[in-house]
Amino acid sequence: MKIGRYKRELSAALAYVVLLLAVGVAAPMFFGAGNLRDLALNNAPVLLVAVGMTLVILVGEIDISVGSQFAVCSVAAGWLAKEGVPVALLPSVLLLGALMGALNGALVGYLRLPSIIVTLAMLVAWRDTLRWVTQGEWVQNLPPNFQWFGLGQTLAQWLIVGIALGVLAGFSWMLRNVGAGRAVYAVGSDAEAARLAGIEPRRVVFGVFVLMGALTGLAALLNAVRFSAVPSNAGIGLELKAVAAVVVGGAAITGGRGTLVGTLIGAALLGTIGTALTFVGINPFWEKAIQGAIILAALVSDVALGHFERMRVGGLTLNTARAAK
Amino acid sequence: MSEAVPQTEARTLKLTAPWRERVFPNNEWVLLVVILAECAVFSLTGSNFLGGGNAFEITRLAVEIGLLALALTPIIITGGIDLSVGSMMGLSAVVFGALWRDAGLPVPLALTLALTVGALGGLLNALIITRLNFPPLIVTLGTFSLFRGVAEGLTRGVENYSGFPAGFLFLGQGYVGGLVPTQLFVLAAAAVGCWWWLQRTAYGRSLYAIGYSAEGARYAGIPVRARLTLIYVLSGLASSLAAIIYVAHLGQAKSDAGTGYELMAITAVVLGGASIFGGRGTVLGTLLGLFGIVILQNGLRLSGQPAELAGILTGVLLVATILLDRLSTRARARPARTQTFAEEEEVRNSQVAVLSAVILLGALIVAGSNWMLVRSVKENAAAAVVGAGAPGPNAARPAGGKKSVVALMPKAKGDPYFVSCKTGADEAAKELGVELLWDGPTDLDPAKQNEVVEAWITRGVDTIAVSVENKEGISTVLRKARERGIKVVTWDADAEKNARDFFINQATPQGIGYTLTDEAARITGGKGDFAIITASLSAANQNEWIKYIKERLAEKYPELKLVAIQPSDGDRDRAFAETQTLLKVYPQVKLIMAIAAPAVPGAAEAVKQSGRTDVKVTGLSLPNMCKPYIKEGVIESIVLWNTVDLGYLTVYASDALASGRLKAGDTSIDAGRLGKIEVAGDEVRLGAPFIFNKENIDRFNF
Repeated sequence: MKIGRYKRELSAALAYVVLLLAVGVAAPMFFGAGNLRDLALNNAPVLLVAVGMTLVILVGEIDISVGSQFAVCSVAAGWLAKEGVPVALLPSVLLLGALMGALNGALVGYLRLPSIIVTLAMLVAWRDTLRWVTQGEWVQNLPPNFQWFGLGQTLAQWLIVGIALGVLAGFSWMLRNVGAGRAVYAVGSDAEAARLAGIEPRRVVFGVFVLMGALTGLAALLNAVRFSAVPSNAGIGLELKAVAAVVVGGAAITGGRGTLVGTLIGAALLGTIGTALTFVGINPFWEKAIQGAIILAALVSDVALGHFERMRVGGLTLNTARAAK
Repeated sequence: MSEAVPQTEARTLKLTAPWRERVFPNNEWVLLVVILAECAVFSLTGSNFLGGGNAFEITRLAVEIGLLALALTPIIITGGIDLSVGSMMGLSAVVFGALWRDAGLPVPLALTLALTVGALGGLLNALIITRLNFPPLIVTLGTFSLFRGVAEGLTRGVENYSGFPAGFLFLGQGYVGGLVPTQLFVLAAAAVGCWWWLQRTAYGRSLYAIGYSAEGARYAGIPVRARLTLIYVLSGLASSLAAIIYVAHLGQAKSDAGTGYELMAITAVVLGGASIFGGRGTVLGTLLGLFGIVILQNGLRLSGQPAELAGILTGVLLVATILLDRLSTRARARPARTQTFAEEEEVRNSQVAVLSAVILLGALIVAGSNWMLVRSVKENAAAAVVGAGAPGPNAARPAGGKKSVVALMPKAKGDPYFVSCKTGADEAAKELGVELLWDGPTDLDPAKQNEVVEAWITRGVDTIAVSVENKEGISTVLRKARERGIKVVTWDADAEKNARDFFINQATPQGIGYTLTDEAARITGGKGDFAIITASLSAANQNEWIKYIKERLAEKYPELKLVAIQPSDGDRDRAFAETQTLLKVYPQVKLIMAIAAPAVPGAAEAVKQSGRTDVKVTGLSLPNMCKPYIKEGVIESIVLWNTVDLGYLTVYASDALASGRLKAGDTSIDAGRLGKIEVAGDEVRLGAPFIFNKENIDRFNF
């Protein structure tokens, strides 16, 4: 077992364990089965988006439009359910997400526009389009079989967590063992080298954005079915949560390095803090500050643990994206 | 392809390049064309768009974001980014307010210290970025949360510093020479200074070198770390300065200052032709990008267009600009340094298909928005013909037979609460035959409210009706509206008394707080524990209600105990999760009181899923959202007034005021289907808050 390769994930896991221990001492009832189930359920959508975000960050891009896509998909799911298409709900929402992802992917992959700008534009454009179309109205009076897919609460809850973890495990396996998964790392490490090795970087980037969109659609649907109405303002700030989870999980924002196990730990760490604070009885006013501090601490711990690899000879990795390569 | 032109040749060519390439090295002229086109369109569709007054008003609104954009320009030129600028504004504003009011320091000293805090925050970013070699995107993402979080923690989200001396407010609200907004000089000085520094000094040029290649710049003897440190410190400093101006502009300092400004600023810089990968960008471009956005927003507002269009068009413009730039760069065969994989133009069928799909999709979006634009432009043109006899803000009172224009502003357009108010407002406007303008911030944003009122003053409406988010901030501009002969009413939430003619009062904060507490006492039998789910921790309204809830508890229900207040950020899903946690941490809680419209169904769903039938939910929300839960018995009751009637009454009162049917001293007003409504002093009273429960909920549909 090559532990060295997973040092970053380990340091995030260590932080998580410390957090859990601290909470365990201060408020043991945190570990009640009900609480753990609720935590898993509430964070499953973020986790799914973070899985997609990991892929995007692995190829050295970023997608900050996921929050708006999430809202669009949520509302669309509600509308479709009202129109009475329960069977086609899942594929159509996935398709809608994939289409929005494809737009990003085409602009970034094929036209080679910087992803942060493209997705910034989409973040604003989708959100405002949705506001314009819905005028803030929620989708209400959904058919009764919308909530929990009509399966009943307990079964559907397991299903949602199961799907999220299954997707995570599936992608994790593919990233390690399938050619397409390795291509993601190859393109993220050095697109030119990947191209010379016979990989089509544009197609990889495009595909990753399509997956990102589809996963966002899936997350939106799984989140929406937990309730009996769909709000029109879902997913605000989701992009930051997902990016933070990926980065805390040890992925390099410059691409080519990171694992989904790390993302799982990152999402768990950030998703637990808020609840843990309430259990311990710390005032929620400080939650945002603590989250920011954890992101910074995750970065600094890399250095403190002495695992920081210099990415360039001179040690300067100043560019946000791949330009330095 | 003719891409063989080597880089050196391109460089030397540039020295002898025509002036156009020297002034606009990154095709910034495109923006100039866009701005001219915007001006041309809006001068046709907007009322009073082309006027000196409006031109200066636009610049006033652009100053805070402009300062941030100027600070971001050198950072983006070096290939970095700073997402923490907006959060730093919040922190600096709070520090400034606290030092001035709580520590009793004089304004200049508090100001200096606030600027120091900004510089220190910038230094923190700089140190992590340059010493630990982390990507700026991630570092500033961390400080983005950190700075805002510290600001909220310091003020507990509640503190709202106001009452600053007039001399200080002049910085943000005054005019020099009666026309030019004071803060414009700050922006102008910053822009000129920044331009000179970046584009005319060796120091500034070295930043471009760093952006092209940090490694190369280092070999060339440029102290890369020191230079980067300086620009991040400057960025922190500029954010603080923007915060000071923001505080002076709104007359209040709160932890939510500058929320979302970082995105606007980055958009302006990138629209202005700067490359996010570094090495390219000009101050002129940034300014053009900035005004491109601001004029678009202002013009849409003056044309009575939906504000959402601004976001959509900005997004399209952003992608179109970089796309155009990318294509023209390719055409001119300047080796683009941003691309990562070798330029290879073997176009396959699949790629053609993808490209076509993208272009088609883009075209659809543009066509869609154009169609909406054209449609509403037509409506407007028709309206403009009707109202052609009444140009200029002073001629706001229409001659007989003209449609009176009522401009109605909610706190947030997308909020279901206000959406239901609009239903009533539309109904009244139809009955009375007045033209109703409905505009406001998309999210709670006090600065945006001022902006909209300014636009309405310029446009020249008859009555302005505002649901006030920020009393101190908006009162100045409302007084200005009254000076120009526009009637002003406030509804839902009041401004300062001398800033409006009437207040349409649906319920006082005291009334709401007391009714909620009484209802809680009724449900719990007057004793036991309960918890509150609020909107955001810095929400002014909710904090006011909580104050009265606590007051009522202390005086009347000593056995009823408030154990926790958790935020929901107006997000149903967050309210759901917070309620779940509350139920576990405080299992003895018998009642959840949610005091934000989306939070009540969220809390109810959490209680329902937990299976805890002994816990009840109450709060302040809309009947339709809560109907299923009320019928199931999860929600015991909700407290609210008839929001549809509130919108209806507001428009009736506004029109009566404009036509002289409602004057000071009246004791009642005739309000259509509502009959006679009581007027007490300068308040029009809708009536007491109403309690919706299982028995009566079916009678309401909003």
